[in-house]
Amino acid sequence: MSINPIPSLPTPAAATFRTQKQERFDRWWIMVAAVVALVLLLIFLKPDPYKNLFLFVRDGIWRTTYITITSFALVAVFGLIAGLARLTKIKIIRGIATVYVEVIRGIPMMVQIIYWYFAFPAIVQELGRGLNIPSLMEFRPDGIVMAIFGLTFGYSAYMSEVYRAGIQSISKGQMEAARSLGMTYVQAMRYIIIPQAVRVILPPMGNELITLLKDTALVSAVTIPELTRRGREFSSANFNPIETWTMVALLYLVMTLLATRLVAYLEKIARYER
Amino acid sequence: MEPIIQIKGVHKYFGTLEALKGIDLEIQKGEVVVIIGPSGSGKSTMLRCINRLEEFDEGSIIVDGIPLDTAENINAVRTEVGMVFQQFNLFPHISVLENVMLAQQIVRKRDKAEAEKVGMALLNKVGIPEKAKFFPGQLSGGQQQRVAIARALAMNPKIMLFDEPTSALDPEMIQEVLDVMVALAREGMTMVVVSHEMGFARACAHRAILMDAGQIIEQAAPDVLFNHPTHERTKAFLSKVLH
Repeated sequence: MSINPIPSLPTPAAATFRTQKQERFDRWWIMVAAVVALVLLLIFLKPDPYKNLFLFVRDGIWRTTYITITSFALVAVFGLIAGLARLTKIKIIRGIATVYVEVIRGIPMMVQIIYWYFAFPAIVQELGRGLNIPSLMEFRPDGIVMAIFGLTFGYSAYMSEVYRAGIQSISKGQMEAARSLGMTYVQAMRYIIIPQAVRVILPPMGNELITLLKDTALVSAVTIPELTRRGREFSSANFNPIETWTMVALLYLVMTLLATRLVAYLEKIARYER
Repeated sequence: MEPIIQIKGVHKYFGTLEALKGIDLEIQKGEVVVIIGPSGSGKSTMLRCINRLEEFDEGSIIVDGIPLDTAENINAVRTEVGMVFQQFNLFPHISVLENVMLAQQIVRKRDKAEAEKVGMALLNKVGIPEKAKFFPGQLSGGQQQRVAIARALAMNPKIMLFDEPTSALDPEMIQEVLDVMVALAREGMTMVVVSHEMGFARACAHRAILMDAGQIIEQAAPDVLFNHPTHERTKAFLSKVLH
């Protein structure tokens, strides 16, 4: 009977990982440059309709960016709060957080956004009539505010799971060591657990950012003139769906690729800082 | 003189399992106590109750006159009680020196210069000042455990708890950790040590305790307990551990 040869050990993991990372970093910048070049090429070589289209949707690009950045900043904070709430020993808080996450994850994002924009103000108005409070009867929130609110409320649930998994990935001994030195729970989180969890959390957090960026297209359903809605307006006025949606798709691609680069950069910093 | 640690009637349950079945124990200031016993006997659990890393269900523990009841008292006790873990539990994201400095700065509120001075002095004491700027992952197990001892000492604790400090170490690294512990014992530190290092027990301990099934079975001076055990369970355990 022959004995299978022992497979040779891979080269030290850390070293290969790092060089691969470095190479990918460069290659992906070429991709970004290629897509940007394609957009510019279309605009300069065929100004009708591409240049007109670009100028038309430009405010939509800014609005999409604004909604993404604002929502994501809020999601980063509320997701952490919800994530910590899911880890607390206090049963009632943990219960509320768990119900919140399970409910949100079970409802399509599109429905949630529509709910916050159309149903929620109507509920507040009903309540105002019932309780006879004039200010509530007149409740008509700004559309973009409700869109950001809806995205934040929904994405915080997903983000809380990212934080929770990241914090749980740090061994229990770390918290025990910190507490045994007299640190409070908050100090232990701030100085010991979260700095270590960040490295685990960053990659899935980057995914959330990119998914959120793409899901801002959903708020076009509630009349917010962001990139997708502006594209639809242009397309229906000029009857050129191929050109319009090609351009819109490319513009989203530029944004998501840039976001990916940003996340990769942050991951790199977190790794080298140790 | 009042004992520095007073444990009275402590019971602890893990679900339906009774891990501690009424522990009574008093430890004097300056005493070195070694706890031995089979795995699952509750020795680590009892040790972890002393700084309330483990909650207990009945009974009381008073450390240096402070009862372990409110969150504030528990934290007050923790600042006075250093702990060394089997798995070292150094903070891997900061340097060795920062490991020793951090709690001094945020709990003891020492300024950076003072914390660094204390930290370097302690790294000297445990024999690895040259590793100050390294990260814990770059150190051997024995070196990491010595840093862990320095980290606990940086808080100027009155009591040191050791939870199987050499069990995760390669044999050739055990002695360097024990040497640090012996030096500490000679200085008069109050120490409670869960360990099967009989050599350490004989050299330094004032008292050895055998635990089994959540109870203290027998306690005596180490030589007496190891050489002339009276209880059957002590004899049975020692016959497996010695030689």
